[in-house]
Amino acid sequence: MTKKRTGVFVCHCGSNIAATVDVAAVAKAMASEESVVCARDYVYMCSDPGQNAVIQAIKDNQLDSVVVSCCSPNLHEKTFRDNAKSAGLNSFTCEIANIREQCSWVHKDRGQATEKAIRISRSAVRRAGRNLALEPIAVGVTRRVLVVGGGIAGIQASLDLANAGFEVVLVEKNATIGGHMIQLSETFPTLDCSQCILSPKMVEVSRHPKITLMTSSEVEEVSGYIGNFKAKIRSKPMYVDPDKCKICDDCSQVCPVVVPNQYDLGVSARRAIYIPYAQAIPASYTLDEASCLGLNPVVCGKCKDVCEAGAIDYDVQPRTVIEDVGAVVLATGFDLYGQDHLGSYGLGQYEDVLDGLQFERLCSASGPTKGHVLRPSDHKEPKDVVFIQCVGSRDPARHCSYCSKICCMYTAKHARLYKHHVPDGRAYVFYIDIRSGGKGYEEFVQRTMEDDGTLYLRGRVSSIYEDNGKIRVFGNDTLSGQNVEIEADMVVLALAMQPSTGTAEIAKILKVGRDKDGFLAEAHPKLRPVESVTAGIFLAGAAQGPKDIPETVSQASAAAAKVIMLLSQPQLTHSPMVARVRSRLCTGCEMCVDACPYDAIRLENGKAVVNDVLCEGCGTCSATCVRAAIEVKNATPLQMQEMIGAVLNF
Amino acid sequence: MINPQDLCTRARDLLASGEVRAVVGYRRGSRGMAAEPVVITKPEEAASLVWDPSCVHNLALYLVADRKRLAHLHQTPGKPIAIVAKGCDARALVVLMQENYFKREEVYILGVSCESTGVWDDQKLMQRLGCDSQSLTGGRFDGDDFVVTTATGEQRISAPECMADRCLECRHPFPTMNNVVLGEEKARTLAAPFAALSRFEEATGTQPARWAFWQRQFERCIRCFACRSVCPMCYCEECIVDSITFTVALDTTAAEKANRVRWIQRSATRSENIGYHMTRALHLAGRCIDCGECERVCPVHIPLRLLNNKLEKESREKFGYEPGVSIEIASLVSSFRDDDPNDFIR
Amino acid sequence: MMHEQQQTQTQYEPKIVAFLCKWCSSAGSDLAGVSRIQYPAHATPITVMCSGSVSPQYILSAFNKGADGVLVSGCHIGDCHYMEGNYLARRKLYLINEMLQFIGVEPTRFRMSWVSAAEGAKFANIVKDFVEDLRPLGPQDKLKAQHP
Repeated sequence: MTKKRTGVFVCHCGSNIAATVDVAAVAKAMASEESVVCARDYVYMCSDPGQNAVIQAIKDNQLDSVVVSCCSPNLHEKTFRDNAKSAGLNSFTCEIANIREQCSWVHKDRGQATEKAIRISRSAVRRAGRNLALEPIAVGVTRRVLVVGGGIAGIQASLDLANAGFEVVLVEKNATIGGHMIQLSETFPTLDCSQCILSPKMVEVSRHPKITLMTSSEVEEVSGYIGNFKAKIRSKPMYVDPDKCKICDDCSQVCPVVVPNQYDLGVSARRAIYIPYAQAIPASYTLDEASCLGLNPVVCGKCKDVCEAGAIDYDVQPRTVIEDVGAVVLATGFDLYGQDHLGSYGLGQYEDVLDGLQFERLCSASGPTKGHVLRPSDHKEPKDVVFIQCVGSRDPARHCSYCSKICCMYTAKHARLYKHHVPDGRAYVFYIDIRSGGKGYEEFVQRTMEDDGTLYLRGRVSSIYEDNGKIRVFGNDTLSGQNVEIEADMVVLALAMQPSTGTAEIAKILKVGRDKDGFLAEAHPKLRPVESVTAGIFLAGAAQGPKDIPETVSQASAAAAKVIMLLSQPQLTHSPMVARVRSRLCTGCEMCVDACPYDAIRLENGKAVVNDVLCEGCGTCSATCVRAAIEVKNATPLQMQEMIGAVLNF
Repeated sequence: MINPQDLCTRARDLLASGEVRAVVGYRRGSRGMAAEPVVITKPEEAASLVWDPSCVHNLALYLVADRKRLAHLHQTPGKPIAIVAKGCDARALVVLMQENYFKREEVYILGVSCESTGVWDDQKLMQRLGCDSQSLTGGRFDGDDFVVTTATGEQRISAPECMADRCLECRHPFPTMNNVVLGEEKARTLAAPFAALSRFEEATGTQPARWAFWQRQFERCIRCFACRSVCPMCYCEECIVDSITFTVALDTTAAEKANRVRWIQRSATRSENIGYHMTRALHLAGRCIDCGECERVCPVHIPLRLLNNKLEKESREKFGYEPGVSIEIASLVSSFRDDDPNDFIR
Repeated sequence: MMHEQQQTQTQYEPKIVAFLCKWCSSAGSDLAGVSRIQYPAHATPITVMCSGSVSPQYILSAFNKGADGVLVSGCHIGDCHYMEGNYLARRKLYLINEMLQFIGVEPTRFRMSWVSAAEGAKFANIVKDFVEDLRPLGPQDKLKAQHP
């Protein structure tokens, strides 16, 4: 084997490195390494003259590998690899030794820092000495997108993508799209009607030639990798053909089953055959198999008898399709923090204690009370209404530690809507703080307090119980220091937001991480907020964390833009630092197959085989294999051994 | 109780019917009452098979050897091989199948239950009788006892007095995975699991005492690799800590030769011996089924079971993992649980 | 060699090899740098892709080559860039940690930590504590290669 010819370039970074590290001594020490043919230092290696000097040195000394001792590879690894490439080297022969963040900036003793910089540089030199020239792996792209979740986030992302010319498959678990937003009455801070602004978008989705809408459907399995996913989607039967259904309501009239209507959060009732709400998309009745008296065999059959359009078919079977897509947008939204956690607030126990979404339905013109605020127990107009914020939020000891972010605003909105409906009523709000950051938000809250005369009480509620048709609310006003007792007609709880049911499952299916609270984890909290850690899977809306509608829409559009960027490339490239099997040593024990987080390894004729595109190069396989039969290119055990030796002056 | 004649009959029938191409079992050795492994291929050889307390070897090793031989000859296995397997041997087979080294249908397991006893330990025999198995002229199982024949005549001894430690501590003396099994499954507790390990841990409670003990052990090692040779789990083509096993094939390139990692030196010094034994123990974590063969064959009497038992115990207690019970599960180090110990991490 | 002997006579300076995962712990040590948090220079980092890629062999090798202490640091449980790598690392390294102590190596010599990209100060403290804990033990010679 011919001897390596490595060049080492030690950067002063002005005085950032040179003040603590004797850069000339580092260069000198590197020059004595066997594989190093040229070693020099320069004030700013990343500057134009610095980079040109590297190129010149590569040419003058016929270098085959380069080590740059400088700042963190996160900053300039790409710079120097590109630079090496422009000098005719393979970019993967260039290694970075981090002697700034991990050395000069954290040590004061010049002697010790210099010694450490030498150790770090030497280990990079040893590693570079065994680097292979690698080429990025080219991967084709399927120019279609899977959007999971048909709330405002999924709708916005789907429309943006479809309008950019990409085919979209929009999968929604429920019978209609619209999500939680369509349940809302008005939206803050402008109080425009939620259905008025969302319905047109829903209709556009249903009519868009580029969008395939799959309601009552769930993603069961996803295999593949960025640019080339295969999604297995299972659709439950609706039993009513949307193309034939005339929405005449005849079927519902004859249906003998009455169950709570989830769309109205149980405040109203519906039949087993029903339309979730008038603006539902697809615009069709649907038969709820779970509450129907029986489909197999047919027990009742009244709806089918009465349907003149012949839209009802009891024999429809669940259907599973496989969709090829290049990217996935996860917009699975939120659920309210369940009532089973919140017994002390009387939710689920007292009829007139409602959660925020139930109150939205009471205010909504399409709601069970046709927009009149009437309390569920006796359908009388409530005169004293208590709104309680932070129910389940900001309570690390018992509930969720995080702030659900939108409750301050929607509680202010609720109080105003109530006052608009019942001008002589009294609204009380218990709060911890008011968090009203956002355009027009603070002004909105001020108007709630001042114009609409809502009484804001700073403090937590200690107990709630029903007494003689009233709900007694005990609390403490920490500003006045007084105990407060309110005889309320209705209590509305601003429940915490939590990831929707099924978020854990879809995260598992797609192998994207979740944060400590169960929301889908972004790849970087600041710089990659709409990407998941898994390449090709993007996040939008409240599935990623509590957020309001404008933020959700922005994130959905951002995710769409990221997908467009991804799918607009003629082909994708994948890091070539992937695992490689040393077949002769492999016995097919499958330990690496089990250990691989990406299912990138499979057995073929009794030997492990790596799918280069699925492999992310984490190296867990290599550390698991007892036979040294699998290793990651350019991070091999041999390279590690030599680096360990270099670090220990061995 | 097993009648050894039944074993011979089974083996003979298996060979006569052509169901298996060979039977791996035990026969009388050349000296005294020490059994030796044998591979028979003809029905008439079946009469030579024995089953008695001297059947100490883990015969799974011979299946591994057969598989390697076939691989070198580029031959396919064909008909299954039958193997006489005690509980521990059968667990070894489970691990080998879990690692896809064999398919279940390639092995015919002629299980033998150790019932209420196990195999004997030569050193303990020596202590009890003043002679080892090679000086005995007879020996058989009899209920909870061994009946041995010495120069002075037949003698009945309580089996636990002379049983190998690993048999006393054995939790699975019955080969659960089998095609046919002789003898019964008997509930028994002769010693607590990991009893020898616990005794050692108590005796050497402090870290300097541990080191003083192991320093002596590891300095003694001559790196003869007998422990590796006898271990059915050490079936790697190359041993990553022994460069002499690095094979050179026709297609081995110069770069490949140069790029081999030599984790430890070949010299039998303490540091390198520790490297070898630590690596071996870690590579056996979740795979060692405590057949105790490594310790039995060690010419310098290093208590190697302690190392393997330590990790077996940790795996069982901390990870709920027991080797050799299921072919289907992922191996110890390629799986995890959310509640694996975390308190050793800062 | 002469140079090293002189050093041990004056003051013993422990040598630490620190395997840091690229995404969390190495980024965390970068943050310590950006924040200019000072800590001892005894630990030399080797950045690996994932703590799950740290083979117990690397740790034995580091001790064999004369490391006085070995640190492996990864993402917090649940935060692994590769989702599961640190879970697998935890299990493997638990075993080697137990094994080292079992044969009588001082428990202080091997250390594992979870350091996120946001925990620069934690990283600095871990190194600081490690160096302080190692000093009283003196050089590690139990596993260090002997040259006959």
